[in-house]
Amino acid sequence: MYKYVLRRLLLAVPVLLLSSLIVFGLMRVMPGDALTALMAESGNVGEKELAKLRRDLQLDRPYAEQYLLWLWQMVSFRPGDSIFTGEPIATSLKKSIPVTLELATLALILGLVIAVPIGILSATRQNTPADYAGRVVAVSGLSLPDFWLGTLVITFAAIWFRWIPSIGYVSFWESPTRNLQQFLLPAAVLGFRLSAATMRMTRSTVLEVLREDYVRTARAKGLEGRIVVYKHALKNALIPVVTIVGGQLGTLLAGTVIVETIFALPGMGRLTVEAILFRDYPVVQTNVMLVAGALVSLNLMVDLMYAWLDPRIRYH
Amino acid sequence: MPADRGSNRREFMKAASWGSLAVTAGMVATGRTPAFAAAPSKYPDWIPASPKPPKRGGTLTRASAWDPPVIDPRLTQSVGLYQFAGLTSNRLVRYAFTDEASGPGDMSLKGDLAESWAASPDHRVWTFKLRQGVKWQNLPPLNGRELTAADVKYCFEQYAKEGVQAFTFQEIEGMETPDKHTLRVHLKTPNTLFPQNVAEPVTVIFSREVLEEDGDLKKRLIGTGPYIVKEHTRKVRVVLQRNPDYWDKGRPYVDEYVILSTPDAATRLAAFRTGQADFIWVASPSEVETIIKTNPATVVQAYHNTLAPFGLALAQDRAPFNDVRVRRAVSMAIDRQKMVDTVFEGHGILGWGVPYIYYQDTPPTAKDLGPWWQYRPADAKKLLAEAGHPNGFETTLFYYEYFPQMTSEVQLVQQDLKRNLNINVKITKLDYTTYYGRYVESKWDGMSWGFQSGHAVGLDERTYMYMHSRSTKNFFRVNDPVIDELTTKLRRTPDKAEQRLIAKKIVDREYDQVLRMWMPYDNGFLVFQPHARNMAAVAMRRTDGYGSPSLARAWMEK
Repeated sequence: MYKYVLRRLLLAVPVLLLSSLIVFGLMRVMPGDALTALMAESGNVGEKELAKLRRDLQLDRPYAEQYLLWLWQMVSFRPGDSIFTGEPIATSLKKSIPVTLELATLALILGLVIAVPIGILSATRQNTPADYAGRVVAVSGLSLPDFWLGTLVITFAAIWFRWIPSIGYVSFWESPTRNLQQFLLPAAVLGFRLSAATMRMTRSTVLEVLREDYVRTARAKGLEGRIVVYKHALKNALIPVVTIVGGQLGTLLAGTVIVETIFALPGMGRLTVEAILFRDYPVVQTNVMLVAGALVSLNLMVDLMYAWLDPRIRYH
Repeated sequence: MPADRGSNRREFMKAASWGSLAVTAGMVATGRTPAFAAAPSKYPDWIPASPKPPKRGGTLTRASAWDPPVIDPRLTQSVGLYQFAGLTSNRLVRYAFTDEASGPGDMSLKGDLAESWAASPDHRVWTFKLRQGVKWQNLPPLNGRELTAADVKYCFEQYAKEGVQAFTFQEIEGMETPDKHTLRVHLKTPNTLFPQNVAEPVTVIFSREVLEEDGDLKKRLIGTGPYIVKEHTRKVRVVLQRNPDYWDKGRPYVDEYVILSTPDAATRLAAFRTGQADFIWVASPSEVETIIKTNPATVVQAYHNTLAPFGLALAQDRAPFNDVRVRRAVSMAIDRQKMVDTVFEGHGILGWGVPYIYYQDTPPTAKDLGPWWQYRPADAKKLLAEAGHPNGFETTLFYYEYFPQMTSEVQLVQQDLKRNLNINVKITKLDYTTYYGRYVESKWDGMSWGFQSGHAVGLDERTYMYMHSRSTKNFFRVNDPVIDELTTKLRRTPDKAEQRLIAKKIVDREYDQVLRMWMPYDNGFLVFQPHARNMAAVAMRRTDGYGSPSLARAWMEK
């Protein structure tokens, strides 16, 4: 297994290199730069001054040189400073990563808490009102976009309950209660969307497994229905579910951009979008590389989970 | 269909005229001059200062769409910074605050750090006498030392040296400080409006020590203002704390002002409804009605814009827009009133670039704007044919969507030009940086949805700075010798009445030559919790934006 992990990690290197080239190239293809974004509107800055400022920020260097310099900064874990705000990128990330991580983790937990029981319920009570209700919930989750659901939730919470999560992020360590209040609704919005596909997959795989011979044997042995489902069927049914959840992690990270904006959370999504709009090259490049790295690692973790769920799976 | 549309518009205008007449009659009966002729609102346009003695304490909170990009005033004129920089720092001169103003159109200048100011007879030398006993905030490296004229001199020199204010401050030839509290400014050319330029919300006085220690002003904002920055966490909040050593004794009244970064409009609205925000800006009457339903005690100020910041910018230095007949035809083919009625729900202005308060008492009507600004599609078609384009032409229009209504406006222009003049407009919607990069470079063809900066209050800024052919802020590419002459003359005219006459001549020339084709813009509303006092917006100084220094006089009755 160690060899397998090592091989996968080595394979990640070209993937990350390719990602770095793509993000670097795309950022340079986009017109304008951070100085345009910052100063152009005033109309007070002449071409000469802009050229000097670009020189100061090393934006006038050849692309190859800029790329290699950035690559070196990345591998030496010194991503540099934001050219827009001057803040060290490491500081920005230190503030934004925990927010996105907390949001994504809570959304994942909530998504699974919603999806797996309802999926099982739908499967074990196929074609009953409970199944229909579960399927409606799943289709709704697939159909309703995050931005709409988020806006709806915050608007109606304000109208009906005269309450919305307090604005102005507070970390978990400062105030756990207030922090959880701030994260509950956005995580539910994200989790609901995440749960839809998982719910449908759980339903169909549980249905399939329940028709297997060994399940019939278990029932014939006189085992209680609950034990048959949870002890014998569920573990085998979960392999495709884990694949689906792994695949959705990318979508989950993308979804945080919208949800963070609606619920005013200062996470990676907002940081990246703002950096793209303002052409803050080092911030965008570093964030994209981090996300790429996270996705590679998550997929590796998903692959490793297969073996735990199904001992027949071996890594060669 | 055009016929139906015309009929609807006439009906609307008729109804609006009767409505205006009734409102005007009411105002005359109560002895008040009608402030605005168009689109009467059921909400007042001015909330006078509270007659009660101000109450100290409390935390004022606002959910804000804006984040400061940087806190270095040399590097940005963004409202994200100036929604609070005017509270941490002072200027030499300022405009009247809410509790001093006689109404929303009060543009009188007051001393801020300067107690008095006077010009030499030729208006090339301005002498400012500074207040004594003004202290920098008690934070290192300033540690509450006294402000001197040398500080202001240094600050102006830095503004002129580099950054977004360079053009404005480069008109200074030299400065001297005969004593600790006197600053003498020598200008390159006479300018009677110079005090207005140093009263602009962006001309805050920053400290020499911070710039010299840090190399820039990106990390610390220390001034002499009523509030001290207690916390600035990007994309989260800005917390301002009362400056106990503020030179204007007893002020400010509110202990803390918290600005919460809230990019989503629905969330800002929800924050106000649930009491997490004390005031909010909304664009449309329907949004106000929505708030009133859940918060009936809400206090609403119907804001009235004195200018439109956006308009159709034409590449008027090249064909076909270098022909004034083409510009006039395009202008006459656009139904601006329809935009006001539909896009802005009737609560908008037709669009003009120089604030009308500098040349007349009431907002310009469609008639005031002259013949080329009326919706006359048949005349427009005839004029375009005379200009050699009987079958129209192809052109382009690029824009950045500042607010959702802008896209509707752009599309309405496209429809009108196609229907009335057979001009095919290819629209390109760009992101912020691409738009600015292309727009300010001023090398584009066709049309753009142009802008003039939102912060400027003064007449000099809105005329000479934005229209003179040699100004770097002349984004609309105006190159008209008459405008050059008039805007220069205006700077040399000390008499207020004469200034008004010249300003009127400038706008008449602008309208006649269609040099900047202004488009309708919303008026909007400022909505307050019932306990908010002295927070009303004054012309071009919204208290949630560039007019935030007024909040030094705000207080809360709760």
